[in-house]
Amino acid sequence: MNTNTQTTGAPAGSGLPVMRGVEYRCGDCGARNMIKGGDPVRCRQCGFRILYKTRTKRLIQFEAR
Amino acid sequence: MPPKGKKTPKLEPGLPHPPKEAPTKVIYPRRSLPTLHPSTTPKLTGYVRTTPPGHNLTNTANYDSFTSYRSHPTRQYTHPIEGFHHILGNEDIRQVDSIPIGGRIPSIDGPYTTETMEYEEEEALKAELASRRCLFTDNTTSSTNAEDTSDGREYGSSKTSLDAPIGSLRDKWRLLPQFLSVRSLMRQHIDSYDHFVNVELRQIVQSPSACEIRSDYDPKFYLRYTDCWIGEPSIEEDSYSTTVQATPFQCRLRDCTYSAPIYVNVRYTRGRQIVVKKKVVIGRMPIMLRSSKCLLAGRNERELGAMKECPYDPGGYFIIKGVEKVILIQEQLSKNRVIIEEDAKTKCVSASITSSTRERKSKAYIFIKNGKLYLKHNTLAEDVPICVAMKAMGVESDLEFVQSVGSEPEVIDALALSLEEPVKLGIATQKQALRYIGNKMRAKSALNSGKGAASFGNYRKLSPEDEARDVFANVVLSHVPVVNFDFHAKTIYIGHIVRRLVMVQLGKSSLDDKDYYGNKRLELAGSLLSLLFEDLFKHFNSDLKKATDMVLSKPNRAQAFDVIKTIRPDSISYGMMSAISSGNWVLKRFRMDRAGVTQVLSRLSYISALGMMTRVNSQFEKTRKVSGPRSLQPSQWGMLCPADTPEGEACGLVKNLALLAHITTDEESEPIERLCRDLGVEDVSLLSGHEIHSRNAFLVLLNGIILGVHTRPHWLVKSLRSLRRKGQMGEFVSLYLHDGQKAVHIATDGGRVCRPLIIVNEKTSLPRLQQVHVEGLSLGTISIKDLLRQGVVEYVDVNEENNCLIAVTERELEVRRNAMKNDLKTGKTREWMAYTHLEIDPMTLLGVVAGLIPNPHHNQSPRNTYQSAMGKQAIGTVGINQYVRCDGLLYTMVYPHKPMVKTRSLDIINFDNIPAGQNACIAVMSYSGYDIEDAVVLNKASIDRGFGRCMVLKKTQASVRRYQNGTMDRTCGAPDPSAFPGGEQDPRYCRYRAVDKDGLCLVGELMENGTIIVNKESPADTATPVERLAQVSYKYSGMSYRSSAPSYVDRVMISSNENENFLIKVMLRQVRRPELGDKFASRHGQKGVCGLIVPQVDMPFNEMGFPPDLIMNPHGFPSRMTVGKLIELLVGKAGVFEGRQAYASAFGEEFGSTDTVQSAELGLIRNGLNYTGKDIFYSGVNGAPLDAYIFSGPVFYQKLKHMVLDKMHARSRGPRAVLTRQPTEGRSRDGGLRLGEMERDCLIAYGASNLIMERLMHSSDAFSASVCLTCGLLQYQNWCQYCRSGEKVTEMKLPYACKLLFQELQAMNVLPRLRLKDV
Repeated sequence: MNTNTQTTGAPAGSGLPVMRGVEYRCGDCGARNMIKGGDPVRCRQCGFRILYKTRTKRLIQFEAR
Repeated sequence: MPPKGKKTPKLEPGLPHPPKEAPTKVIYPRRSLPTLHPSTTPKLTGYVRTTPPGHNLTNTANYDSFTSYRSHPTRQYTHPIEGFHHILGNEDIRQVDSIPIGGRIPSIDGPYTTETMEYEEEEALKAELASRRCLFTDNTTSSTNAEDTSDGREYGSSKTSLDAPIGSLRDKWRLLPQFLSVRSLMRQHIDSYDHFVNVELRQIVQSPSACEIRSDYDPKFYLRYTDCWIGEPSIEEDSYSTTVQATPFQCRLRDCTYSAPIYVNVRYTRGRQIVVKKKVVIGRMPIMLRSSKCLLAGRNERELGAMKECPYDPGGYFIIKGVEKVILIQEQLSKNRVIIEEDAKTKCVSASITSSTRERKSKAYIFIKNGKLYLKHNTLAEDVPICVAMKAMGVESDLEFVQSVGSEPEVIDALALSLEEPVKLGIATQKQALRYIGNKMRAKSALNSGKGAASFGNYRKLSPEDEARDVFANVVLSHVPVVNFDFHAKTIYIGHIVRRLVMVQLGKSSLDDKDYYGNKRLELAGSLLSLLFEDLFKHFNSDLKKATDMVLSKPNRAQAFDVIKTIRPDSISYGMMSAISSGNWVLKRFRMDRAGVTQVLSRLSYISALGMMTRVNSQFEKTRKVSGPRSLQPSQWGMLCPADTPEGEACGLVKNLALLAHITTDEESEPIERLCRDLGVEDVSLLSGHEIHSRNAFLVLLNGIILGVHTRPHWLVKSLRSLRRKGQMGEFVSLYLHDGQKAVHIATDGGRVCRPLIIVNEKTSLPRLQQVHVEGLSLGTISIKDLLRQGVVEYVDVNEENNCLIAVTERELEVRRNAMKNDLKTGKTREWMAYTHLEIDPMTLLGVVAGLIPNPHHNQSPRNTYQSAMGKQAIGTVGINQYVRCDGLLYTMVYPHKPMVKTRSLDIINFDNIPAGQNACIAVMSYSGYDIEDAVVLNKASIDRGFGRCMVLKKTQASVRRYQNGTMDRTCGAPDPSAFPGGEQDPRYCRYRAVDKDGLCLVGELMENGTIIVNKESPADTATPVERLAQVSYKYSGMSYRSSAPSYVDRVMISSNENENFLIKVMLRQVRRPELGDKFASRHGQKGVCGLIVPQVDMPFNEMGFPPDLIMNPHGFPSRMTVGKLIELLVGKAGVFEGRQAYASAFGEEFGSTDTVQSAELGLIRNGLNYTGKDIFYSGVNGAPLDAYIFSGPVFYQKLKHMVLDKMHARSRGPRAVLTRQPTEGRSRDGGLRLGEMERDCLIAYGASNLIMERLMHSSDAFSASVCLTCGLLQYQNWCQYCRSGEKVTEMKLPYACKLLFQELQAMNVLPRLRLKDV
């Protein structure tokens, strides 16, 4: 499973626990963005405010019927 | 114009070439046809059996004989009364009916009956046709033109150009896409919104009552609006930043409102200065998609694609907080018109007039009671005799009053009793009459509270006379303007109403029909929004005035007062938004309180979205059992779709617009008025009643107000019409001559339904539309606008239709022309009513949704209604942008087909590009017994290949909130596996499988029941400020997946908007293959569930070895009478073998937009198939040929959204309701299956008492209670508190709900006692 970086009891009010960030793709320009907890949801390249999560790296087995 | 007579037809690349050399001789049959009925089998020598004669009637191949047959003019045409006049005389219909079915009619049968047309001959004809037709091959308006001409033989009808009547028009239907491309499909909504935004908005802001704000405390202060307009759509992120040019798609995803700022220019005083400020925001206006203010207006497909918008999306709706909202079209009775009706209670004839102006709305009645006329109005406590009212308005002489009604003796007689009234009351002068009325006034009239009294000053008490005079001037029939208390126009108007009443009373004219569509007005988004905006703007102004007064009332200020700083734009923005999102239109000023004006745009399929935009809602109560408003009115022809209405309670009340129907917007009436005066309309104020009602004088009414009198009304109407046709006045102005009322009605008001028609020359009966126009349209050299300007086409509304005789087909014109020619020869004179118009295409009388049905004119009509309802449930393509949309629930088909059989309407809505369904090869036969009650049998291999496969995308939404005490939600990754006893294999830990480091699931992960989608935690305490909390403790508030069938994560989107700074949307995807119980339907109202899925090996197969995809039981046909489906199959089958899509538009056989059965039969024969569409089938089980020939071929099947997976439900034990301890209800709550009253009755009747016990108690809510045997009350733990003893307390079992009932009864002072006995 994930190497988990959960920090229980994070400083109150900061919201999301401190972490390295997760990769998101901008919905407009497609640039990669690392979004950490508490970051504004905004593309660093173009300022677009819709971001999409990237696909899992894990192997996914589909049942093709 | 391109040169005519080009020899080689232009070919589209990729389409088959025509046969190079003509086949030598008849090439069919390639194989022997199976013998159908030994007795009637034609010899296999190239003869084709006659199709039923009814069919041949529509075939104009033998035109001359047809003409002679049709041209017996047995009916004389007179001026039509209200209604529609499309059908020729009844005699003609009777003649058609009298033809014996099955018999041969020598004069009508086409050439096919006696001998088959030689193939070469036919080819030659078709080649000839193609050479003429090649002009249209590079047409841009329709994507399907290539099919028409590709191999030089017109597929689509058995007609050739030579069959067409002289002077006829080919491809008249090409006007249609032109009309719709200019107007776009949802033009009515967009036009009305544009009118509001560009015209009405400015009018409202600059109207005298709203454009200036003054203070009660500082006479020098003023604020004046000098201009008002709407900016560009944007999103306000926070108070500092805005996203300019926000696209609608962004708003959908981010749950924002697609709106633009409303700017005003103001001039106001600040201290002693006059300040001019430009571009001050007073609020935000939601923007209708594709309107002139929308970013999408005028964009091409590529630009739309870049904005992630579907190019086929019609627009016409709003996006409020990410939700698409439609303002439905509201149907109402028209304003400012007189309607004569019979009072339901008193059974007296009464005229009702709803006057509506900018300032006020009121309703007045004039009615006849006991032979006397009265006026009734809300402001009057009592009905006023009409003569008193007239005297109050200055008509003191009885002669004058009678003359204003009419001078005929019977009219005078009818008024005699009314004339006595004032004498009885002792009223002779105006002053007496006013005093009488003033004393009958309701205590608080609208005047003293409203603005009307402003001219007198608000505070002075008016005398009864003045009050009455004011009410008559401003409130009663307020739409007739009264300037300086000159009541003449109003008295003439009342005289006109009284005349109409008297005429009805005398039986000389009839009551008005309330359901007649000319008396209806459709209210669209624009007019509703303008009402709302006006209200909000006035509130905004009064708030601003209040704020100003508050400051200015205090004497000393350090700084000069600046009004601009007190402007709060929120009230308008919020008011607009909440009205559209809730659908509640509450306007106190007009006493308007409507709910359900807006609805969420249904995005089940493209068709459902389109269907919603054309929906017309009427204000009638749904529960009332009335047939009048529900039934189809003849005047709705071409305006509303006759098929598309829901079944059940809203039947006939919810309607849909027809394809070409247009709804007018308000137009300026002053130019028309001026024009009328120039054309000799005499001002009514200069005429006496006697002159007005003289024999030749016709009243001229403009929007219901009397304009004047004209003595040559026919000439007037004719000249006005010709001016309109030349574009000298608005194209939607309606001119209607009413012979009975002796009136010319001119209408420029908004909300009238109208439709375009081709103008016919009344003298020659030739349509003004010529081949040149059609060719020009298809080449793009001219547009519809030019045709409107040239007087080729015009818009005609329901009222004007009464002055028209509209030919449905050109054949009718031809018949008329021939008859007139004959008359000329024989010297006969007949009084025809000349044809004035020609329908563009009869298929336009259906709406968009019913346009989906192939051959609807061959179906029993309820079937078309059923299909109109089902077409909206078909799974297909929502839009080109469907996979980037984040709708709550989205169904899409995985491999949609374009239909083999399509209609012209489908081309217009681009159905081929965003289809909803698949062409299933069906066999009409019985198989296995699992096909009873409309069930269908599916081929398993077809399902494996993708038949009926669909995708379901469900949205899960979460947001990370900030709380008032400074705490915040948080999302966190999966917990440490070591915290679980089972480690990584622990099922509780496995729920976190899909969760990423940031607490959101990863894209592509499998979701099973219980898997966590968003791992979110919320602070336990959201009240105590965060400084006072030692440590913030969190509790789980995430979301997990709840469904028995697994899904995959399709997309995870994060965003933010002005309310939420972290918005999470997760789309979960399921791919579903058809299973037992899924619902399928063809396009003919023939629905059925899948009853059995059969392996391909067991399916029957035809000679070529093809098994069907779907087997349908033939019992579905006889009672449903969906002949259209049979034809669809036949024509589709021919199309498959010929390699082209077939056409089956409504009523299209004559126009080449529908393939005839005959042409399909020829096509089948050409390809070596049986012309009846039947094939030999072999049993898949034992290989033996089946006893019967099987009718088989392709039929377009829709998969409907009702799927077993979403409905199946079972439970043994499960959750119970807290209060009653009975199992919960409903599938969503994992509820129990109810054994209801009727089931209980069965068990009682059978005597299965133990079963009842088990079902109703033990398996439901058994409860062990203590009951005291002495007092019979429920007690607790073996001690009766009532009897103070524990001796006779016993345990018993009863349902908990029963115990609860006893206790609740006790709580309301009813004491139930249990008497127990040993059994």
